[in-house]
Amino acid sequence: MDNLEDLKILAEQWFHQGVEFFQQIPPTQLYAAIGVLLLTTILLVSIRLFRRTKSNTVLLSGLSGSGKTVLFYQLRDGSTHQGAVTSMEPNEGTFVLHTENIKKGKTKPVHLVDVPGHSRLRSKLEEYLPRAAAIVFVVDALEFLPNCRAASEYLYDILTNTSVVKNKIPVLLCCNKTDKVTAHTKEFIRKQMEKEIEKLRVSRSAVSSADIANDFTLGIEGELFSFLHCYNKVTVAEASGLTGDTDQVQEFIREYVKP
Amino acid sequence: MLEQLLIFTRGGLILWTCKEIGNALKGSPIDTLIRSCLLEERSGDVSFNYDAHGAAYTLKWTFHNDLGLVFVAVYQRILHLLYVDDLLSLVKQSFAEIYDPKRMAYDDFDETFRQLRKEAESRAEELRKTKQVGKPLGNVKKQGQVSKSGLEGGNKRISESGGSKKDDGDGNKAKVGNLTNGHSNGNHQMEDDSQTSDLANGKENTTDNVALDLSKLQKLRSKGVRGRGGIRKADSIGNKGSKVTAAEPAKKATKKNRVWDDAAPKQEKLDFTDSVDENGNNDHVDIVAADQGESMMDKEEVFSSDSESEDDDEPGSDEKPEAKKKGWFSSVFQSITGKANLERTDLEPALKALKERLMTKNVAEEIAGKLCESVEASLEGKKLASFTRISSTVQGAMEDALVRILTPRRSIDILRDVHAAKEQRRPYVVVFVGVNGVGKSTNLAKVAYWLLQHNVSVMMAACDTFRSGAVEQLRTHARRLQIPIFEKGYEKDPAVVAKEAIQEATRNGSDVVLVDTAGRMQDNEPLMRALSKLINLNNPDLVLFVGEALVGNDAVDQLSKFNQKLSDLSPTGNRSLIDGILLTKFDTIDDKVGAALSMVYISGAPVMFVGCGQSYTDLKKLNVKSIVKTLLK
Repeated sequence: MDNLEDLKILAEQWFHQGVEFFQQIPPTQLYAAIGVLLLTTILLVSIRLFRRTKSNTVLLSGLSGSGKTVLFYQLRDGSTHQGAVTSMEPNEGTFVLHTENIKKGKTKPVHLVDVPGHSRLRSKLEEYLPRAAAIVFVVDALEFLPNCRAASEYLYDILTNTSVVKNKIPVLLCCNKTDKVTAHTKEFIRKQMEKEIEKLRVSRSAVSSADIANDFTLGIEGELFSFLHCYNKVTVAEASGLTGDTDQVQEFIREYVKP
Repeated sequence: MLEQLLIFTRGGLILWTCKEIGNALKGSPIDTLIRSCLLEERSGDVSFNYDAHGAAYTLKWTFHNDLGLVFVAVYQRILHLLYVDDLLSLVKQSFAEIYDPKRMAYDDFDETFRQLRKEAESRAEELRKTKQVGKPLGNVKKQGQVSKSGLEGGNKRISESGGSKKDDGDGNKAKVGNLTNGHSNGNHQMEDDSQTSDLANGKENTTDNVALDLSKLQKLRSKGVRGRGGIRKADSIGNKGSKVTAAEPAKKATKKNRVWDDAAPKQEKLDFTDSVDENGNNDHVDIVAADQGESMMDKEEVFSSDSESEDDDEPGSDEKPEAKKKGWFSSVFQSITGKANLERTDLEPALKALKERLMTKNVAEEIAGKLCESVEASLEGKKLASFTRISSTVQGAMEDALVRILTPRRSIDILRDVHAAKEQRRPYVVVFVGVNGVGKSTNLAKVAYWLLQHNVSVMMAACDTFRSGAVEQLRTHARRLQIPIFEKGYEKDPAVVAKEAIQEATRNGSDVVLVDTAGRMQDNEPLMRALSKLINLNNPDLVLFVGEALVGNDAVDQLSKFNQKLSDLSPTGNRSLIDGILLTKFDTIDDKVGAALSMVYISGAPVMFVGCGQSYTDLKKLNVKSIVKTLLK
């Protein structure tokens, strides 16, 4: 008890000293200190808020061989360089789109990520999804039918991903390689993929009770699936990575990452 | 000839290809390499074989992990190009110097490549020639004046001289790499050197030359003998060094270094074409001396390598203490600043520990070794970030690798496949195969139960016509689950029974046919043949390999043999490999989950189900994350 009393006295002494010290300081300095403190906290909070609201990350996803890497370099440099092989790691870059570079001076750069499409590397996509502003899902319009099921499954996984649903991340279904004559039209591809996803919806909702991690079911119960039913906006576009015809993709990106 | 050489980033952008060669590759060997080798954690392998229509390529590759570059060389398999490894490492070194992440076109590399290629080719040529000298008699005669008496004695030594030549080559390579050191000659001079030595070696091919090779050997030999047989005067210095290196096989690199230093000056001697005569004369004397003790030489051959290595180690001892002195301080310094580049020797202890940990988790030894090799290949030369330990870096890389392996490559959504088959109005056929007593029938019943829950009509086919009681066992399950069973009793051909079962299913509109087969050991040829027949006759949609999670090293053998036998014995030779794995008895193994990894790695097929108990409901999907966590715990 004595100890406690001693401590109390000691604390009181310190308190008095502190008060005296404060009284010695001119009030202007005090105000200034408080002001600085407030300012920094506001700044930090605002930076965090700012970041959260306006992410500039755009993801390029899709099956292996659909032309993501070529599209990435087409958007960045306006050239395919010497072609590409299967990616083993994501390509990342923060830049102003190639065509805009020429036209205007000041535009907000886009953080573009090309995530490898190989199924072993799919897990990489999940790392990027929480901070994505938009997703471009690239589909090979030339070799579409053999890959239709795999592509639909991948798209289904993306559309039912928690962060995609929660943040309502818009998805662009980009039909690549449309410069070739035998390429399928975007309407055909959209319909086929809707059909596939409809089938998947049936089988997956059965499986998910086991433990595949799709927390959300797509579409409206009792109706055929359509991309319009998605929580997020899904649009369809055509592009050609090889010839550099990427206007629709750029438009889409700029819609969600404002210049 | 070399078909193609590519340099690309890990991101997949091609930075440079050899336009000069310009042969269009048939098929897409590069993409296949990446997909089926590099991404499957097999990058520790030496080479990759690619087969396509009318093209058989061998691919070799090397990584520059720090810059994230991949170098791949493609050549026809029938040609055994010796210089490819050499060329790749040369290209790697010189390309790393000019690489800039912002630059996309490297047209100026063409010239450098041409030089490097010439160099590598000439070196390989040289190597081959020196080897040929030793081999057939006729060849030697063509070269002429080597006396026969010298031949027999010299034969082995010449072949060894080939070896030392190779080391010379290594020395050259190192010099090219060390250009910036300034201690060696410039690039051009280097080239000249090698060319002149070529001239001396290749064109003239006179006695002098051969004799010179012999002489070099002789010198080495005599040195070695002295170092060894002689009164161990070197021991005071050499012993320590040699012991240290013996204890640490990891330090092989230093050994090689030694040989260069020893041999490089000798190669310089080759350039003084004037003095060759003198040398040659001297050496003839040496040869004669050596010939007398021919039989002894052969004996000595056994430990001459020993003596040589001891000889090698001797100067190594000079470097060793220095390195040790440096050790403590530099390690503290490095941990703060981050190590410049990870080397094989740095990674080895961490990888060894990791390998052991994997093996205690019941991963087959072979698989653990291969995985570690692959991780090593992916980390070597990388920069270590500051305030990270090597072990944590290695662990991170291993975790990535494991996740990548265990993530299924193909869709494991069976229900989806069942619906697809239903649309085609045919039953979806699943065949369960495996060794005896792993739980094929039990898990077949579990799968049937799971399918029933999802409104799929199932039929069982009792194709275990071998073990007594098997049909009754299945019948009991069928009764409990209220599903039809197709059976024809015992002693029938299982392939025929399965066929009839499928026909029956088509008739009565069942969606899925689950075919139970007899358990068989992977080495039992007749039974494997029967299984192969069953699979080829019925062409099932899914061949499920049932394996128990208790299995250790045998998992590799089981799966690889099953896979092999099924593809060997199939008349068409195409499909009919294992499509998926059903892991049973998973509840009995606690944290020893390694079998899952071994099986997936060896077969490339995903784990589709995990059996984890006795009741019908005990069927799960594999949770990749928890498996990886358990493996690295």
